[in-house]
Amino acid sequence: MPHDITLFGAYVPVLLALFFGGVVLSWLLDRVLAYLGFYRLVWHPSLFRVSMFVCVFGALGLTTYR
Amino acid sequence: MNAASPPASGGFIADWRAAAADWTLTAAPGWLHVGKTFGAAILVLWLAMRLELPQPRTAMLTVFIVMQPHSGAVLAKSFYRIGGTVIGSLVALSLVALFPQEHALFLLAITCWLALCTAGATRNRNFRSYGFVLAGYTAALIGIPTIDDPSGIFIAAVTRLTEVSLGVIVSTVVSAVVFPQHVSNSIPRVVRARFTSFVEFVSDSLSGRIDRAGIEASNLRFISDVINLEAARSMGVFENPEIRLRSGRLTQLNSDFMAVSTRLHALHQTLNRLRTRDHAEVRLVLDAFEPYLREIAQQLNPAETPVLQASDAGAAAHRLDLFRLALPARIAGTRVALTTQEIGALILLDFDTAAELFYRFVDELHAYTATYASLAETLPPVGIATRPYVPKTGLFATTVSGLRAALALFTVCFFWYATAWPSGGLATIFAGVVCAISATAINPFRTAYQMLLGAIIALPAGAVAAFILAPQADGFAMLAVVLAPFLIAALCLSTKPRWAGVGIGFLLFFGFGAVPDNPVVYNPVGFFNDLIAIIIATGLSAAAFGVILPPTSGWWLKRIVRDLRQQVVAACIGRREEVKHSFESASRDLMYQAGALIEDRPDAQQVALAWMFVTLEVGHAMIELRSETAALVAEAAFARQGDWPKPLWTLRDDMVRLFDKPTVANRRRALASTATAIAHVQQKAGDMALAPLHESASGVAPAVTEAKLPGMTDERVEPRLSTTAATVATALPVRQRQRLLRLVSYLHFMRSALLDPRSPLPGGGDFRETPIGEPHAS
Repeated sequence: MPHDITLFGAYVPVLLALFFGGVVLSWLLDRVLAYLGFYRLVWHPSLFRVSMFVCVFGALGLTTYR
Repeated sequence: MNAASPPASGGFIADWRAAAADWTLTAAPGWLHVGKTFGAAILVLWLAMRLELPQPRTAMLTVFIVMQPHSGAVLAKSFYRIGGTVIGSLVALSLVALFPQEHALFLLAITCWLALCTAGATRNRNFRSYGFVLAGYTAALIGIPTIDDPSGIFIAAVTRLTEVSLGVIVSTVVSAVVFPQHVSNSIPRVVRARFTSFVEFVSDSLSGRIDRAGIEASNLRFISDVINLEAARSMGVFENPEIRLRSGRLTQLNSDFMAVSTRLHALHQTLNRLRTRDHAEVRLVLDAFEPYLREIAQQLNPAETPVLQASDAGAAAHRLDLFRLALPARIAGTRVALTTQEIGALILLDFDTAAELFYRFVDELHAYTATYASLAETLPPVGIATRPYVPKTGLFATTVSGLRAALALFTVCFFWYATAWPSGGLATIFAGVVCAISATAINPFRTAYQMLLGAIIALPAGAVAAFILAPQADGFAMLAVVLAPFLIAALCLSTKPRWAGVGIGFLLFFGFGAVPDNPVVYNPVGFFNDLIAIIIATGLSAAAFGVILPPTSGWWLKRIVRDLRQQVVAACIGRREEVKHSFESASRDLMYQAGALIEDRPDAQQVALAWMFVTLEVGHAMIELRSETAALVAEAAFARQGDWPKPLWTLRDDMVRLFDKPTVANRRRALASTATAIAHVQQKAGDMALAPLHESASGVAPAVTEAKLPGMTDERVEPRLSTTAATVATALPVRQRQRLLRLVSYLHFMRSALLDPRSPLPGGGDFRETPIGEPHAS
């Protein structure tokens, strides 16, 4: 996959697009986990959410910048 | 220090421990907030320098604006802030593209945009206002510096967007991960405290143990409770999935609470008006009512069965439900006992009105308790479609706020343009910033004035930091040490509500002036020019807030009272479904605005409260009158005689006239048409009573008892009483009659509200109705 994409004639790093993709993906995951009541088992929910986002974004980024 | 710590029992260590516990409860959250904000600011400064962004201070200023003590507040603010920043950048881009060579047109357009955004920030008093603030000032921040170099706008927009987003992201993560303070943790406690204090208030006010000042204070407290719970809910959904699941129920809880407190007020007013009348028959009515009032207090007695959490409320709701179901039959019995004592028709009407209000009150109290109990469930509710309460400022105040910002900006721009002032652009930007930030505050003038103070202090402090201390600092860590005392002192100041404006002003302007750019430049002349421009711009904005129709002056109160009266007009002629939803919250919101603005003028507050009470009484009765009438008109027996509700519509028009233009003549007129309407509906109810009851003379006992009731039973109770086919045939007219009697009680209540000697309506305490024909006895 290329490292840059063109958006309206400007070069934009793919990472930026992946960042927004990661936000949407973790948001969906978050809603599912909340609905299942998973957060009641977690010590520090916000830390868990941040870490989950880092994992999702990292996984997405690594598939591009291997 | 804790003065109440036990003496010498545990010695020094116990004292120390008590003081520490006290400190953890009271002072620690504030210090935690200061520490977290400072940490986030330094972290973002380091990141921005490491990433070689051109203006690291913009990212740091973002942290100061975004950080809040509670995690949910930061998340909510960030969400709207990023949205506002993106919109502002896009607007700046398109404005520069539209007027690349026309400075005057470009400045005019920017001024208009800023004024629009300021108006939006005033109008929306929830998190949406931050979106408006950001949309306005990002546009100015990006657009104005590029005025002489339009081709640089794209890069400026991108870097500014990056810096702001960096600030938002870092403060969000820091606030959510480092010792998070959850507003959602306080929600169960707030809900419980409100329930308990409401229950206490119910038993106190119904037994007449509390005077008018106490009632007013409690009502004001309930209003701010409603608004605070809604604020907590709107933050809580961002930080806690459990709150998100219960969001609908919390909204429902708030609207139930508003309904029941309005009803309680109506009931209390009715009883109080009876209590002040010294009359033997009235005393009989009150005595007949006494046991019920005592009983409702016992039903909720917090001493015997305390409601400590949502699951306890279930038991209370069950008790109330039993009480409610038994109520119609019992009240019918009391009424029969009263009629045997030769009581006049008007006094009986008083009893019927109070009984109807009491039944409705128990019903709504049950609904409130049941909703509280349902908070224990986790599954999302089905079929709750309550719209959340949305705090909005009136359109007139919004327009004034926008025009004020436009005028302030226009003055600065004009000065800049006329004198070719080198720092004019900066002054314009900061005039816009101060206008927008102050517009979100409840008292804009005080905020703007305090920000001016902050700017004045920032001038010497910034000079010391940037030109004496910073040059000696070597490396980023030393820079952080140099900035620390200034930033921490200002942050401490910003946690004190009285001085928050000074703290925020200092942080913004000190941060702007003293925090180095990338790369660092030593430029004292530029610094002084910038800060002087900032002081002039802030002073001008503060002057605009102080001079142009300041909200603390009398016109504001007049305006709010007018808006309150317009609520009654809306209740009379607005769309029924719409009004039902908005009436309660809109009236309270107006009162909240009045209360916050005129807190140092108790007389004005009383005026506003008196108007709110009369608005709630008449408006609420009117809404119910309209729904009952609509339900009646929909029924076949009434559809045939199209003009029967005509006196009701006359009354409605008279009420509109009265609340549009309160004069003694209009009040008298409305009163007269209330009396006519009462007579008319009673007549109708009398006709109805004769016909169907003759037909069912075969004697269906429950139906007959019910027919005697003053319209107490509602549809939920009825099927229990009449199940056989024989009763179904007569049930319809009975229900119609009940509706008619309910109409009478609403009308009578409106009449007593109009006659109230404490009413703020013109005519004063000695207002009397013109004699009219004795209403038809029911």
